[in-house]
Amino acid sequence: MQGKEGRSAPRTVLLVLAVLGFLVSAYLTWTHFAGLAPICTGGGEGCETVQSSRYAVLLGVPVALLGLIAYSGLIISAALWGQAGIYLGFLISLVGTLFSAYLTYLEIFVIGALCQWCLASAAIMPAALICTTLAVRPLMQER
Amino acid sequence: MSAAEGEKVEKNSTLRSPRMLLALLVAVAIVVAALLVVLSQLGGSGEGVGELYSGVPQEGTTLGEDGAPVTVYLYEDFQCPYCGQFSREMFPRLVDDYVRDGSARLVSENLVFLGPDSVVAARAALSAGEQNRYWPYYSLLYENQGAENSGYVTDDFLRGLAEKTPDLDVGRWEDQRAGNSFTRELEDSQSRAQASGVDSTPTLIFEGPGGQAKIDRLTGYDQISSAMDKVDGS
Repeated sequence: MQGKEGRSAPRTVLLVLAVLGFLVSAYLTWTHFAGLAPICTGGGEGCETVQSSRYAVLLGVPVALLGLIAYSGLIISAALWGQAGIYLGFLISLVGTLFSAYLTYLEIFVIGALCQWCLASAAIMPAALICTTLAVRPLMQER
Repeated sequence: MSAAEGEKVEKNSTLRSPRMLLALLVAVAIVVAALLVVLSQLGGSGEGVGELYSGVPQEGTTLGEDGAPVTVYLYEDFQCPYCGQFSREMFPRLVDDYVRDGSARLVSENLVFLGPDSVVAARAALSAGEQNRYWPYYSLLYENQGAENSGYVTDDFLRGLAEKTPDLDVGRWEDQRAGNSFTRELEDSQSRAQASGVDSTPTLIFEGPGGQAKIDRLTGYDQISSAMDKVDGS
């Protein structure tokens, strides 16, 4: 299964995306535990408002930390890249995409502020889902 | 069995599974995402509020026993996001660790510098304080905090919180809110803030037998523990 040409491009892109997402989540997790306001490019207090909102913590766990765990899972997925790795990546990126969509809805319609770091993650997750879907498709066609 | 036949059997055994597995993964992903959404929506209902304040004396904007050796003044604005974060993430622990056992009492000082809605929210909480239910209302305001000056502090919003506040007579609360602007209380808090050099929220000032401590850049609960250790005189 491993090393098939058709799957190498999605694997590389997924790895790059996962590392980027990991860095974004790590930064937001760090600011949360350090009690710092995330730097919002272009000014404004959107990041601060979103990160200190009641939705930034889920059962005592910062959402940024959940992101960190998810991106770690995607890095493992890209590293494994066997059937198990691809399915794992597909599952994580699908959950991540759905939850990111919900979080973006909260930012726009409930919290009323946008956090660029969160939006970056919300863009990375669907891109990761495209990569894992491209990798899952050949597995469906193997007959 | 030849190698080719073996491969065929192996493929046949997984033939039906990939699509099934994919469907299962999609279903699991939807369930997990839905669970995360539900968990994210928890809070704000006031369910834990009664438990947090159970057995703790409340009088107006003061929480805890009168004879507590340490007094902690909380300078906050109901619209301030970091006050909300403090209230949701550290305040319950502060009550459990120091207020419940009589080590400290808390005094809420309302600052209303962020906008007109800060004044409206503070008046609603102070009205609840007239029935000694300030603190549950305080918690509910922060649990349901919206974006600063977004207009979320409506009459319906405030009444909804009053209805969730345990043991609050909502009719009396409405009367208090309509009949009292609490201008003096708000001005007094502002004066005390100026006298204490408070220029940001949340600011916590600890006073006890061991002296005074001030936290105006709250980053973690350990700062609260250190301030308590410093001022309790033991």
